[in-house]
Amino acid sequence: MIATLVIAAFMILAMAGAIYAALVPHTLHCIIGLGLTLFGVAGIYLYLGSPFVAAMQILIYIGGISVAMVFALMLSVSLAKKMKHSEIKVILSSIAAILFLAVMARLIMTTEFPLREEPAGAAAWGVEQIGHGFLTTYSPLFIGLAICLSVAIIAAVLVARREADKS
Amino acid sequence: MSLSAFLLVSLVLFSAGLVAIMSRRNLVTILVGIELMLNAASINFMAFNYYTAVDPVVGQIIVLVIIGLAAAEVAIFLSILMVLYRARHDVDVEEIREIRG
Repeated sequence: MIATLVIAAFMILAMAGAIYAALVPHTLHCIIGLGLTLFGVAGIYLYLGSPFVAAMQILIYIGGISVAMVFALMLSVSLAKKMKHSEIKVILSSIAAILFLAVMARLIMTTEFPLREEPAGAAAWGVEQIGHGFLTTYSPLFIGLAICLSVAIIAAVLVARREADKS
Repeated sequence: MSLSAFLLVSLVLFSAGLVAIMSRRNLVTILVGIELMLNAASINFMAFNYYTAVDPVVGQIIVLVIIGLAAAEVAIFLSILMVLYRARHDVDVEEIREIRG
């Protein structure tokens, strides 16, 4: 009972943050909405049996990505102030998104999913299993991710630096 | 809580991301929309992982990969944003028409 209430609260937090981020005009408030959503999603992961992924969500998304976005906002000062906001575009895109939502919600409600009898026990969800998976069956994925991250960081530094040398 | 509840939450997140991407002209808020959509995909993976998958490790690994890719994407995106801001003092996507620096 209490678990259901808590997960419902996290779900509502995630959805409210997302809608706030999508509609609020101010850029900084938009990032705050994103942070709320990420926190709610971390709670959902916790309910779905994976404390490790929830911790990574908080560390990387809230601690890394949101903070990086706030820093980018601080480095480009005028961004925080002026913000062109056309009502008509918001209304049109909201209508499109609500149509999409209605169609997909109907699809979800009418589909019969092949559910497992009982959810897997806690032993199957541990950090050990994730590490084992990353180093055996899914090692190409792990190596690819590592290469992708290092290339992205080097590229980000190069792109941001070249212009600095020019000016 | 049933599987459909999680799928509906993820659907709301995805739609909000769609609105953010379609209606905004500011690169930072478009990035926020992309992150919302990635999170919706991650929730789907975790929910199906919990309720239907044979091996519960698969979904967790895919979600961790999505988180890593999102970090890489944000690094690239923000460096492009810094370059654009330095060159034009603006990050309005409708004003950015040339690729040459």
